Amino acid sequence: MQDDVKDLEHAKSFWYADWSFPIIVGLLSMGVFAGTSMYVNYGVGAFNEVAIVAMLKAGLTGKSFGPAAAFGASFLFARILEGSLVGILDLGGAILTGVGIGIPAIFLSFGWEAPVKNFPLALLTGLIIGILIGLIIYFVRKFTIGQSNATFGADVMMGAGNETGRFLGPLIIISATAASIPIGIGATVGAALFYAWKKPIPGGAILGAMLMGFFFPIAV
Amino acid sequence: MQIVIILIESIIVGLSVGFAVGVGAARMFNAPTVQAVGAFRTLGEMNSAEGDPAAHFSFGLGFFFNAWASVVGAGAFTQDITHRVIPNWAASILLLKNRNVEETVHNPKKMGIVSGILGALLVPFLNVTSASIPASLQVTAVKVLVPAADTLINMVMPILFWLAAIDAGRRSGLFGTVFGGIAAMIMGNAVPGVVLGILVGKGVDDLGWTRITRVILISTILLFVISGFFRGFDLEMLKSFHLGVPTWLNDMHSAIVPK
Repeated sequence: MQDDVKDLEHAKSFWYADWSFPIIVGLLSMGVFAGTSMYVNYGVGAFNEVAIVAMLKAGLTGKSFGPAAAFGASFLFARILEGSLVGILDLGGAILTGVGIGIPAIFLSFGWEAPVKNFPLALLTGLIIGILIGLIIYFVRKFTIGQSNATFGADVMMGAGNETGRFLGPLIIISATAASIPIGIGATVGAALFYAWKKPIPGGAILGAMLMGFFFPIAV
Repeated sequence: MQIVIILIESIIVGLSVGFAVGVGAARMFNAPTVQAVGAFRTLGEMNSAEGDPAAHFSFGLGFFFNAWASVVGAGAFTQDITHRVIPNWAASILLLKNRNVEETVHNPKKMGIVSGILGALLVPFLNVTSASIPASLQVTAVKVLVPAADTLINMVMPILFWLAAIDAGRRSGLFGTVFGGIAAMIMGNAVPGVVLGILVGKGVDDLGWTRITRVILISTILLFVISGFFRGFDLEMLKSFHLGVPTWLNDMHSAIVPK
């Protein structure tokens, strides 16, 4: 009974339904694209790694927009296909790199400066691009996965995803011990305390490492 | 005056990105029946906090310092703001009141609202503060968290997904192995390939070779071909085998990829 209610809720409500997905991607792209607009105007606010933003910066400082455009566009294309098949659209590849770096670079290389540089226009442009991406995914899903009741191995993927999380704690401690002895001790003690208090160990390892790193800084 | 404009624009940007990130992250826990937007690493890392508010908060905090330093230094937030800080802090706030993850972290409405507020606070804060943060904290975060997260994403995740694919049956094992290897070469990470292998393999196990599974297999292959082309993998491969690159292929690359 409860499952039936949940299924109904999933099918109809904004928060779970497929029809609302384009709106969510639209809002996301709107913000990310406008963030790039802020970066172009003020030098702050791009939602990406320094190395990727540097490709856009190369174009802005008079070099070619080609690398940023090609890199971003190929990411976007690949992730749209993957996202509709897997059920999770990759935020970093599709939106942050594709919409945030690739599309602005393409626009600027064509000399279309207004949609990127004007903030309200950037919001609108991002929104439209995001809704289009969401619609493509909505339709690809509808005509492939949505037509069947098979799980397509979702249980297998979720199982592996859950298992991954368990590795993080030990990995953080190992990498802390490689950083310096005080940081390694901090991470080990923090993790042990958290474990004794029945809390997940990554949190304790990070806090311990940061605390010791503050008092015993390592050279850059 | 410029600072006021930056502040207002940042609030708009933070609100929309934060809200969408929160909804997308909560929907991930309901994928693939619900289409989500996010990342497998976010999913794995959020699971590793096991519904503990302190663990979610401290994980986000480590990356927050890193992101802050990156904004101050280069104006770039790093992808960690959307992948790690906002979702984990939103989860931590929600879990303070109710420790049941299914009613909080997996609920798109609650996650969306809290993440939206967080975004509207975080983005202006990061953009406006040009004062530096203690360098020692930043260095520690970079030296400890970045290598750990890199190993998690580049080694642990591919291997666990790969083993899961192999254990799930002969078809998903075979497709997972082939696509995983190709994805590691073309995309730099095997996880998307292994996931697609599981998808195709289990899809065929459940449904047989129907129109749907054929469409999925063909689009998967197309995905590899096209992303390989855009990343110049075809050229790299020909060079690695000491073969010449045909002129028409070079011309095609320069025609399609803008210079």
